[in-house]
Amino acid sequence: MQHLDHDRLVFLALGESEADNGESTHLGTCALCRAEMATLAQVAGLGAETQGLADLPDPPEHVWQSIAAQVRAAEAEPSRAEAGPQQVPGQAVGTLTEQTSGTTAGQATGTTTAEATGTTAGQATGTTAGQVTGTTAGQVTGTTAERPVTRLDSARRSRRGSGWSRWAATAVTAAAAAAVGVLGTVSVLRPDDPAPAPTQVVVASAPLAAYGSTPPTAKGDARVLRDGQLHLHVANLPRVPGYYEVWLINPATMEMFSVGTLGGGSDALLPLPPNVDLASYSVVDVSAEQYDNNTRHSGDSLLRGTLTG
Amino acid sequence: MTALRQEPDPPVDDLDVRFRAGDDVALREAYDRYGRAVFHLATSMLANRSDAEDVTQATFVAAWLGRDTFDPAKGSLIGWLLGIGRRKVIDRMRASARETRVVETVRQLPEPAPAGPDPDRVVDRLVIADELARLPDDQRRMLELAFYDDLTHQQIATVTGVPLGTVKSHIRRGMASLKRRWEVDGAAPGPRPAGLSGTR
Repeated sequence: MQHLDHDRLVFLALGESEADNGESTHLGTCALCRAEMATLAQVAGLGAETQGLADLPDPPEHVWQSIAAQVRAAEAEPSRAEAGPQQVPGQAVGTLTEQTSGTTAGQATGTTTAEATGTTAGQATGTTAGQVTGTTAGQVTGTTAERPVTRLDSARRSRRGSGWSRWAATAVTAAAAAAVGVLGTVSVLRPDDPAPAPTQVVVASAPLAAYGSTPPTAKGDARVLRDGQLHLHVANLPRVPGYYEVWLINPATMEMFSVGTLGGGSDALLPLPPNVDLASYSVVDVSAEQYDNNTRHSGDSLLRGTLTG
Repeated sequence: MTALRQEPDPPVDDLDVRFRAGDDVALREAYDRYGRAVFHLATSMLANRSDAEDVTQATFVAAWLGRDTFDPAKGSLIGWLLGIGRRKVIDRMRASARETRVVETVRQLPEPAPAGPDPDRVVDRLVIADELARLPDDQRRMLELAFYDDLTHQQIATVTGVPLGTVKSHIRRGMASLKRRWEVDGAAPGPRPAGLSGTR
């Protein structure tokens, strides 16, 4: 059987001419030529859709900055873990405390806590609100060590399977050190120590977008830090008569719990329960709440987003 | 004859290999070269711009940390990056769908999910665009006239002043390169006949 000339197939695929009788007959019986022509036609169709793709806009600059920061943090990780034996306990604790108190969020959250007294989240928030004591650091660290591995960047997992156990060991060491700190035998903070504050490693994150009638300029980011805290950054939230509350929702069961309240600042660090399963409670929701003696979600969601590793 | 017309060899492009090896500047180079394509994939599929930025970022971080699994022999770097980006886009779309259901339940207010384009199609387009950009100038120019301006071979010959036979051969070779590349790097290539691949 004489196959169609390849030039002819290209012609036909580009729609430049119709198949004549003989060609139609051949295409009707020859699966090879038919498939080749179909493939070429698909390629031609895709080719026609590439107009403009050679001149695409750049992603915003902060995308690269985040990539660089995350890569640095991930790559700094093994060296920190391997430096275990040399790591002075006080440094580990100091580092965690720095991270905790280093943001203005701590203060802002603390303010809110006073208003929202009585909620579990409020109490927990108060604990992290920048108190520089060995106890605080110990709790935060212990939380991290016990936290089940729910979401971790898959690439990191595949590349360094042992990474988690190594850093977990470090965290346990730090927790033990913090306990020692409570007994007063170790200087907890050493400000003249040149140990740099490492970038917090993010184990899951969610961009938060305005929902429903919320002005579309409202937005935010939620990041689960490896030390078990939820870092929220919000912008342009509409003013509300009550206060903002942060929730984690399990989309499969619609169960939810409150993580805490937001203060007046744009950032907040909220501790997560040590055993929370973020794979299940994967939706971060910021709601507008009233001082109405009703602890349930108001149904008025302002922002939402889903955590992904 | 062909050899005479060839341009001097372009500088060796070893970004794929350097990326795989973890060369310090390779990540930045890969981002400069392919960040726009990954971002385009994300923005085409995701209505929310910060979702798209997040996916772009996550794609490059995952690619760099997982570069051990990239095999330059099996496909191009951009094809591999777009494959990662495509999975992350789909994850994000599924997450959004779940989240929409949650909030619907919470608020009892349905919000229609936007129907986006097919991610495979977007990936395929970007792969073809990348290959088109790599073709020799003559081949690319003629294919662009055929694709974008819908000119026939004869019209292209007239417009460019290039003999019809040469137009045919440029277009045939260019199409063969696009097809080969699509079969290697495309998201969902069509049938791959055994006997007729490539030029004859």
